[in-house]
Amino acid sequence: MTITLLMTGRLLRRGLIGLASLLLAILLFEMVIPPVADSLGGTDGLEALIRTLPPSIQALTRTRPEFIAVSGLAGYLSTGFTHPLYITLTSAALVTFTARGLAGEMERGTIQLALARSVSRPRVYLSRVLGLVIVVTALSVAGMVGLLLGMAIARPAGTLVWWHLLTTISVCWLLFWAIGGLALCGSAAADTTSRAVGWATTGIVIFYVIDYLATIWSLIEPLGFISLFDYYDPADALVNGRIPLDHALVLALAGLAGVAGGYTVFTRRDLPT
Amino acid sequence: MTAHLSDAAAIETSDLRKRYGPLTALEGLDLVVPRGTVFGFLGPNGAGKTTTIRLLLGFIRPSAGSARIFGLDTWSEGVAARRALGYLVPPEALYLDMSGDDQLDYAARLSGTPPVLRDRFLDALELGRGPLRRRLGTFSKGMRQKLALVMACQGDPELLILDEPTDGLDPLIQRAFESLLRERHRAGRTIFMSSHDLAEVERTCQRVAVVRAGHLVVQDAVADLLRLRRRTVDVRIDDAGAGAILALPNATRLSREAGRLRAAIDGDLNPLLRILALHDISDLSIESPTLEDAFMAFYEPAAAGPGPNGTAGVALTALPPASDGTTGLGSELGDDDVFTREVVTTAGGPR
Repeated sequence: MTITLLMTGRLLRRGLIGLASLLLAILLFEMVIPPVADSLGGTDGLEALIRTLPPSIQALTRTRPEFIAVSGLAGYLSTGFTHPLYITLTSAALVTFTARGLAGEMERGTIQLALARSVSRPRVYLSRVLGLVIVVTALSVAGMVGLLLGMAIARPAGTLVWWHLLTTISVCWLLFWAIGGLALCGSAAADTTSRAVGWATTGIVIFYVIDYLATIWSLIEPLGFISLFDYYDPADALVNGRIPLDHALVLALAGLAGVAGGYTVFTRRDLPT
Repeated sequence: MTAHLSDAAAIETSDLRKRYGPLTALEGLDLVVPRGTVFGFLGPNGAGKTTTIRLLLGFIRPSAGSARIFGLDTWSEGVAARRALGYLVPPEALYLDMSGDDQLDYAARLSGTPPVLRDRFLDALELGRGPLRRRLGTFSKGMRQKLALVMACQGDPELLILDEPTDGLDPLIQRAFESLLRERHRAGRTIFMSSHDLAEVERTCQRVAVVRAGHLVVQDAVADLLRLRRRTVDVRIDDAGAGAILALPNATRLSREAGRLRAAIDGDLNPLLRILALHDISDLSIESPTLEDAFMAFYEPAAAGPGPNGTAGVALTALPPASDGTTGLGSELGDDDVFTREVVTTAGGPR
């Protein structure tokens, strides 16, 4: 286990600056959300503002004016976790971390440092999975820390159930785990960083587009279940403190399937020249 | 470290093959590296050297056949096989964000063996402690190569696999490293190294194997290859003597002018020396062969002209069993398949 942790530590330290930058960006982004609430006139102002937006733009933020009206401050704050920028920042962190961890190390040859010694491929892979768990947790917590800082600074009107924050962290964690697991699988199969990044980014965009189109286009709606984002509902988590069991299972299993697939590929494949 | 190892050869491959789709990188390699030898692994670019090394390290999976290190399969028992192994990673495969010290510590911890030879190698390769505190990103290519060498050797592994070990090193450091290799050899370690520097191989290795286009061309003791190869004899001798020399089955006439004969002699010199002893000679020179001379014929796909005495190619020339009675060129090419292939593909004889 010591060797596994040693490799995980090396992997995290190597990308520390980039990861820290993205975590800071996520924190700052979420920190901005609470102050904006009051500047827009509280829940009523937000509802009115969102009502002015066309449905296609509302779908981008994954919210509805009537939902804001009912859910109040918590409903508004949850939009920070479905905002395209938040999804982009967290995805970037996951994709770069997973791509660097396997495909990048195979491309540069640094993985040979471990594999030329008495370190097994499963152990190398486990170190990457441990790293992924740490990054997923850091991403989930960073957004919430930012939100809490923003709340402390702006003190917006409205109520928030504090333990619902934990539920929201959990639903974020599950989505990131699912994305990260699948991205790790791609990284295990790819020969180069750029290919791993390309595959993972394409997958995330496809999931996002399917989810978006399913919201605004009845023809696509039946296909919504294909997308991981269909099972990601931070609004429900923050407002009601609820994560539907089937949603949690789908996200958890998607991540597990990605990790298992990556394991199968990585332990059997040839390293690229 | 040696206690758990079996008595098997340090490296043994059997009908080892590697294909990448339609491309054949390695075709039926049978290689034996006895324990305690310094073994040179030679061949032109693209011959299959790196593929072989990657198979030995378990980086890639054989398409067929097997590779064993101390009797352990390098794919299915790779972790145990690599326990006794030190490998020279390419300098570009080092973590450039780490300091030299941290890199050495990291490698030692991954190996799980104490770096008992670190200081010895650092001193011999003149890698100062000061630079080791710097990030590798600031290192020159030569310094990275030295660090990679220290990483490979610091745990005193039973078997060292070195791919182009002195690439990027200046000549003095190169000699210092060769001295370290001889030291490890005296300590009973096995060293398997690929190199394009044939002079280095000649100075360092006891045995060599040459691969070309994925096939094993020759595997033998360096001394035997040198003994077998063609020498150029330049002698001022009377006509009777010249005639006797040219009548030797291993002699080829190069020129005969003004009482001077230049002839190529393949392999054994004793018949020539016996003739020279019977005749008056006023001048004599016999060019010492180098390993480079011996191997250029193996490197070149089609050397100019037929081989001596009408032989078809390099693989057919001068093939008595090796002096140690083990793996002479003839015995290695006893496999008809390989033998035929080499003869067919090698149009000319040695130079």
